[in-house]
Amino acid sequence: MSTPATPAAPPPAPKKDTLTIVFDGQPVEVPPGINLIEAAKLAGIEIPHFCFHPRLSVVGQCRMCLVEIEGIPKIQAACTTPLKDGLVVKTTTEKVRDSRAANMEFLLINHPLDCPICDQAGECKLQDNAFGYGEQRSRYDERKRQYAGYDRTMIGPHVVADMTRCIQCTRCIRFCSEIAGTGELTFLDRGGRTLVWTHDGKPLANDWSACAADVCPVGALTTREFRFRRRVWDLQKTPSVCPGCNVGCNISIEARDGVVYRFLPRLNPAVNDYWLCDYGRFRSESLNERDVSKVTVREGGSLQETIVPVAIERIAAEIRATIDSEGPSAMFFLGSAHLSNEENFLLRKLADHLGCGNLDVVVDRSRVRRMKSKTEWIEGDHYGANYAGAVDMGVRPRAGGHGLADVLEGRWTPRLVLAPDAGFAVAADDPDAVARLRQARFLAVAARTANALSRAADVVLPAASLAQKEGSFTNVQGRVQRFERAFLPPPPARPQWELLLMLAATLGWGDRNWTPADVRGLIRKEVEGYGGVTEEELAGGGLMKKGLFVSTGAV
Amino acid sequence: MTFEPVLTARVGRDRSQSIDTYVADGGYEALRKVLGGDWTPEAVTEEVKKSGLRGRGGAGFPTGVKWGFVPKDTKGKPVYLLCNADESEPGTFKDRLLMEKDPHQMIEGQIISAYALKSRTSYVYIRGEFFHGARVLDRAIAEAYEKGFLGENILGSGFSHDITVHRGAGAYICGEETGLIESLEGKRGQPRIKPPFPAVFGVFGAPTIVNNVETLCCVTHIMKRGAEWFAKIGRNEKNTGPKLYCLSGHVNRPGVYEAPMGLPMKDLLFGDAFGSGMKDGRKVKAVIPGGASAAMLTAEEIEDCPLDFDGLAAKKSMLGSAAIIVMNEDTCIVDAARNLAKFFSHESCGQCTPCREGTPWLHRVLDRIESGEGRAEDVDLLEKISNQMANGMTICVFADAAIAPVLSSIGKFRDEYRYHVENRRCLVGSRPSVEATA
Amino acid sequence: MTGRRYSVAPAGRPAEFPPAALERIEKILSRYPTKQAALLPVLWVAQETWGWISREAAEEVARILELPAAHVAGVLTFYTMYNLEPVGRHLLQFCTSISCHLAGAEGLVEHCRNRLGIDLGGTTPDGKFTMVEVECIAGCDRAPSMMVNDAYHEPMDLASLDALLGTLP
Repeated sequence: MSTPATPAAPPPAPKKDTLTIVFDGQPVEVPPGINLIEAAKLAGIEIPHFCFHPRLSVVGQCRMCLVEIEGIPKIQAACTTPLKDGLVVKTTTEKVRDSRAANMEFLLINHPLDCPICDQAGECKLQDNAFGYGEQRSRYDERKRQYAGYDRTMIGPHVVADMTRCIQCTRCIRFCSEIAGTGELTFLDRGGRTLVWTHDGKPLANDWSACAADVCPVGALTTREFRFRRRVWDLQKTPSVCPGCNVGCNISIEARDGVVYRFLPRLNPAVNDYWLCDYGRFRSESLNERDVSKVTVREGGSLQETIVPVAIERIAAEIRATIDSEGPSAMFFLGSAHLSNEENFLLRKLADHLGCGNLDVVVDRSRVRRMKSKTEWIEGDHYGANYAGAVDMGVRPRAGGHGLADVLEGRWTPRLVLAPDAGFAVAADDPDAVARLRQARFLAVAARTANALSRAADVVLPAASLAQKEGSFTNVQGRVQRFERAFLPPPPARPQWELLLMLAATLGWGDRNWTPADVRGLIRKEVEGYGGVTEEELAGGGLMKKGLFVSTGAV
Repeated sequence: MTFEPVLTARVGRDRSQSIDTYVADGGYEALRKVLGGDWTPEAVTEEVKKSGLRGRGGAGFPTGVKWGFVPKDTKGKPVYLLCNADESEPGTFKDRLLMEKDPHQMIEGQIISAYALKSRTSYVYIRGEFFHGARVLDRAIAEAYEKGFLGENILGSGFSHDITVHRGAGAYICGEETGLIESLEGKRGQPRIKPPFPAVFGVFGAPTIVNNVETLCCVTHIMKRGAEWFAKIGRNEKNTGPKLYCLSGHVNRPGVYEAPMGLPMKDLLFGDAFGSGMKDGRKVKAVIPGGASAAMLTAEEIEDCPLDFDGLAAKKSMLGSAAIIVMNEDTCIVDAARNLAKFFSHESCGQCTPCREGTPWLHRVLDRIESGEGRAEDVDLLEKISNQMANGMTICVFADAAIAPVLSSIGKFRDEYRYHVENRRCLVGSRPSVEATA
Repeated sequence: MTGRRYSVAPAGRPAEFPPAALERIEKILSRYPTKQAALLPVLWVAQETWGWISREAAEEVARILELPAAHVAGVLTFYTMYNLEPVGRHLLQFCTSISCHLAGAEGLVEHCRNRLGIDLGGTTPDGKFTMVEVECIAGCDRAPSMMVNDAYHEPMDLASLDALLGTLP
């Protein structure tokens, strides 16, 4: 007897690593592990919400994200609905539309009509969702709830509270508990009397307190530093990198008419995610400081105003003279942790070209500043964004060459000192350190703010601020990050890379018409580890020297 | 055949709280039987299922089925049983009676239930206002430990169990099972998103069952006298067992009354053994049959109205906590609705938008109408606000409860509301006044 | 209290639990798998020790249970039975929920206000009485029902209220 052959089992279906979700009839493939609201966004569908935030725990409290899920009779909060392969979601039904209008009505009945005086206007989720999903008329005609004594009040050193505007979404509470880990904020009382506040005596004072104002979807929490200064729709946003420390948080410089009004964090999950520390954030104001607006040259005993080409010519002449009389090793080139990779590179190339091996960069140490990326905590400990980059570019003494310590400790006296950043470190304002540097016959600097060094210099060129130039920094992770120019520097101020190109060309190296992109081309060829940093990849984002990342640029 | 009290058998007896009284009366026999070796935890659950016992806290969910939701494999997590003694539904006072007068009946039921659930630890979440009840329970639990009914290796069975009394501090929402769980964890009593359900992920992230005081007392009797006996009591097989009814309002004899499940409403109000009729010979105007969260019924609707889960569901209301509040013809319905709206706006936890904003709104509008400042559109407005607060709009069903008195009173007494708005005063009565008691 | 529960009043001196209270707290902690779960019972110990829970007491509880002070404040203000400021010797709690309301609770409250000369939430100048409105306390069959501190008094009427106020020490 023969047994029939058993048919071979069909090969197992290839395991999908995405889930299929159907939104309003359209299927879309999404990765697992995200929220349904994020999945909808991938499908190009906006599910309005207030309390959901991609990095905070899901609470499902605002009820704005209600949708219909096939198979479930009652409307469901999208944010609390787990992703399941084959989930069918409807966001345009009458039930959903009504629920959104209802929630908007409920949120607005007690909300003060503060828009004309509220900083949040223009970037307010309540405005946006009211406009998109609410009714035009209000049916509420009772007394509105107020939190007397909790408006126009500092709740911490940076954050102003106007709690009558609060919609009790708890994003701020969750930020302080889950990200900052300090838990200063809580709900007090309950029901319609619920108030978000601190425990008396313990203000909202963690290192990232202003992020609570960022996550607040309305104007209940805002920053003192920005209050009433500018309407947000007036501001032009430029992607940049925070100058505060070597973590290199991605920021958006928000400016208008040559004034920086604020920094906002720019999303980069690999560095600062959605966050920005208070110290770095409020460095924004420092970009507006300018003491040095003129080109000056010391002639005899007095300072003479001149123009940039004349000053550059003067520096070049002094350099030639020094090389002729004492040789190139009598010069000292001082880079800076505040200058870009391009600028530090050009300084080093100039030194190389001139045969000088005396270069250095120093940075002041700070207390450790921690920043939460999406997956880990990053620590910075420098008061400068680009020490790593300056070192990578080679701004360190060559073999047998002298460094800054040699100068400051009296072991060596240069005859000529060139410092493209007069504010290179705290030492620049120290009388003893400046006295040592001043022992040189000729001292030339570029500066924006005045200090002891700039006041002692023979030539002072006005320099651009971070907002007034473009370039790249290398952060503590070895990540090269690009910053863009927000607006032009006020003439005659120039970016240092432009000044250095002019000087180098005068001395026979390089091309004064090069752009920072051209300089990066050279860096790619010559500096180890920077070969893979392409322009496309740098645009608005940052890469590891040996890896790849692109920032979305979203704020 | 007269009904022999089961749950209230010892109420009124001298030293009814003492374990000696309880044991002399056959107390803890059921526990001995269950732990004696013949009953597995699964068998106990089956017995409770067979009895048809439905939760006595308000939801009426079949208890045995609820117990079955605990996963077979709890992945090393302990199972917690929580006794919901937070009794805060207006009109309800049966659990207070049970705990103050006969605590061991509940404790025995709790230990048996814990055995069925393989739970090592249980808590009694008792509302803060029950100072006396908590003291009585503490003493009774200490007695139970002394006699070996609690602690390690109870009655040599290998089953160990601990009970801790945990006092609340004034929040109705902690009677909601996930609000209770949050409160037990030391937080604000804000209900959780479901799913996950407590049976899978409850207190301390572990499988948890929350049962009402009266439910646990029923378990004692089911295991003492059998599921069949229990199931024979009551109107039908879906509404079984003895039931405690809390009668209050304008009747001659308010109080806790025990009767088989399904007692006709009219018997409760007018029976000599029960409410004995309306005070001062007034007529019934409306009855809230199941606590503040239940839709009001009119005098006509209570004519043929069995007081059980299905009987009241058929009337589009609910048995809830079996709190029957009777309002006579001198009651201003708008005022009653206003008072209930005040309750709900005070007790809303405040988490989610529709309830946090809607409950005070309802209260404010009703306040205005009651004080003579109603506007023509207010009655429709109340219905519109209510209808956009419930049915999935909120995290828990507190909002659904809050709108029940508003919608039912408007639906059944719309003319009275209209009168109130148009004439700027009550149709009947005024603010109720205090009468001197004899 | 009918007012808003936003502020935990300072006592002006540090809060140190007496040894007996600390013993109770130890026992309480042994009944829960987390310190946080002991928060409500420990707050009761604080209230039984001082009659109310001051800012210093709240911070001391936070310290003992290793919780952020804000978390303790959030819990303290959520639950209405915790007193956020000193109360009179006799805390008069009038239930005004539906069954007591139908039995005339509001008249009782009005009578008390007039007799004591204080408003709901207020305390008499001699520190003897504080009166508050509470929601259903499960005394509905003996309405109108009230509590004085931890004891029920039910049913009440104007005469028995006068008598009660007269005899409370």
